Amino acid sequence: MDFALTPIQEEIRAGVSQIMRGFPDSYWLEHDESGEFPVEFTTAMAEGGWLGIAMPEQYGGSGLGVADAAILMHTVAKSGGAMSAASAIHINIFGPNPIVVFGNEEQRQRWLPPLIRGETRTCFGVTEPTAGLDTSSIQTRAVRDGDQYIVNGQKIWTSTAQEADKILLLARTTPREQCERPFDGISLFFTNLDREFVQIREIQKMGRHAVDSNEVFFDNMPVPVEDRIGEEGKGFQYLLHGLNPERVLVASEAIGIGEEALSRAASYARDRVVFGRPIGQNQGIQHPLAESWAELQAAWLMTMRAAWLYDQDLPCGPEANGAKYLAAEAGKRACERAMITHGGLGYAKELHIERLYREVLINWIAPVSPHLILSNIAEKALGLPKSY
Amino acid sequence: MNIIVCVKQIPDPETPAASFKVDEAAKKVIPAQGIAPVVNPYDPQATEAALRLKDADGGGKITVISLGPDTARDAIKHALAMGADEGVLISDPAFASIDNFQTAAALAAAIEKVGDADLILMGRAAADWDMGVVPAGVGQILGLPVVTVAKGIEKDGDGLTVTRVLDDGFQTVKAPLPAIVSVSNEFGEPRYPQLRQIMMAAKKTVQVWSAADLGIDTGASVMPLEALYQPKVESNVEIIEGDTPEEKARNLAQKLRAAKLV
Repeated sequence: MDFALTPIQEEIRAGVSQIMRGFPDSYWLEHDESGEFPVEFTTAMAEGGWLGIAMPEQYGGSGLGVADAAILMHTVAKSGGAMSAASAIHINIFGPNPIVVFGNEEQRQRWLPPLIRGETRTCFGVTEPTAGLDTSSIQTRAVRDGDQYIVNGQKIWTSTAQEADKILLLARTTPREQCERPFDGISLFFTNLDREFVQIREIQKMGRHAVDSNEVFFDNMPVPVEDRIGEEGKGFQYLLHGLNPERVLVASEAIGIGEEALSRAASYARDRVVFGRPIGQNQGIQHPLAESWAELQAAWLMTMRAAWLYDQDLPCGPEANGAKYLAAEAGKRACERAMITHGGLGYAKELHIERLYREVLINWIAPVSPHLILSNIAEKALGLPKSY
Repeated sequence: MNIIVCVKQIPDPETPAASFKVDEAAKKVIPAQGIAPVVNPYDPQATEAALRLKDADGGGKITVISLGPDTARDAIKHALAMGADEGVLISDPAFASIDNFQTAAALAAAIEKVGDADLILMGRAAADWDMGVVPAGVGQILGLPVVTVAKGIEKDGDGLTVTRVLDDGFQTVKAPLPAIVSVSNEFGEPRYPQLRQIMMAAKKTVQVWSAADLGIDTGASVMPLEALYQPKVESNVEIIEGDTPEEKARNLAQKLRAAKLV
């Protein structure tokens, strides 16, 4: 069993770290305060070829696996950029996976190279106000009209829609009641986010201010048939294909944020002297931080195992879910502990701990809640009756 | 312009002090557990200098040479990922504990074996031992001019114009080619490898040359290591008392004078 990074993975970590050094804490705090999208950062990542890390080489990508992509995203999140950095490029890394796997050659040629070059910005339209984790209940309809579909409906929590010119859109093409199974009759499209037929309203939120989250309203938006991925009605199955890699990436990002918070806490605890000794000499400070170290290490091993399974084409649902669960819990706890280690300063913006804490909560909540992860693991790994 | 860049893999200079251990009996640094060796931080600047000169010159080849164990291949791959063309690893158990002079001899032999070099670039020093003598050693053996601690290198007709960093300013010198130049951190930030280049570098073959391939015998160490130890640093803190800042300053000055420090 070899736990060492490959030479390419070492280079990924070194190369991305070098880019991230150009975007210090002050850059992310400024963008957190202004809410401006980190364009300079995404441009640097696109120019370095990093957006195409997991995309096939014939379309300009590098053809690497999810383990390599996880190391990339871990390095990005750990930089201090946290989710404001990670979410700005996250969708490019594995979002286009359904196009790669289920799109036709014409679509791959048309869509993938500009996505990899960072010229096309896309968002992911899945979640709806009445259908969060229960995706089969989506209400957005795409009705066939000749050689196009007409889309009406609403999406919510659509990240980067303010910047995006494309959307990977999940919409119902056959009403649920006419389908044999609830997940049938849903189709997946990759199409222009045409502002003439779309209204985008930004959601004000707790953290990750630099990367917008939105409500998106579709009003008779036409979508050409050639923008449908794969067969009509099978979109949900196509979407499922990309969920496990997404879990792995979100896990790696949570671990990166947690490790960064922990490192800052340990540094502070070494230097801060109270009652004549560094606070880090007190076991009351040491033990929680040490516990977080162990939790983050364990979560990382689980994440790498899930990534390895996926890259070997082996089933990895419970492992990917378990990695996301452990990583989010460990990342969140590390940020909490970093905050209490810093005391009042942890609450001050200038030390960035409060920002890391606000950002890691995204990984805890999204893209799937810890509750549903545990329900899924109970069913799939332990053979217990399905509870949802 | 054909350029050879010498790079070295070293223990990570960012290794926490608590993890840095020395085996005094064996006179060796014990590699820190779980901390991978890195490219000497000055060396990517030498590679960057080579890439800029090649770009400006519009042609030529950059060959990267490293002397070290098999893991030093990673230092070569990094330079290849930055854009260098070929890599050579000098690796032989006979080189395990050689001194700077033997290192210079091995590098000089490799430079001659690569052949046809217009310029040899190195980092100003390796950040492990921080001696910075190998460029001069190689220059001595090959009979080439050596310019050290460069912050700027420009092709100038048939030669080079090099700006050197001095303690109290800068010095601009001209050198004929071929020459050896050691590059300092003042040269500027080296480019970061793009992912495509990392992938291409991964596919490139690095030649491995042994002492026999170079036709050299390392011989006895010119500068044998007598002792290797971590110095014990003791410090005492004394708070200078006084009712006013002026009095505290006066008391401090008296203490310093009594200790013969001022």
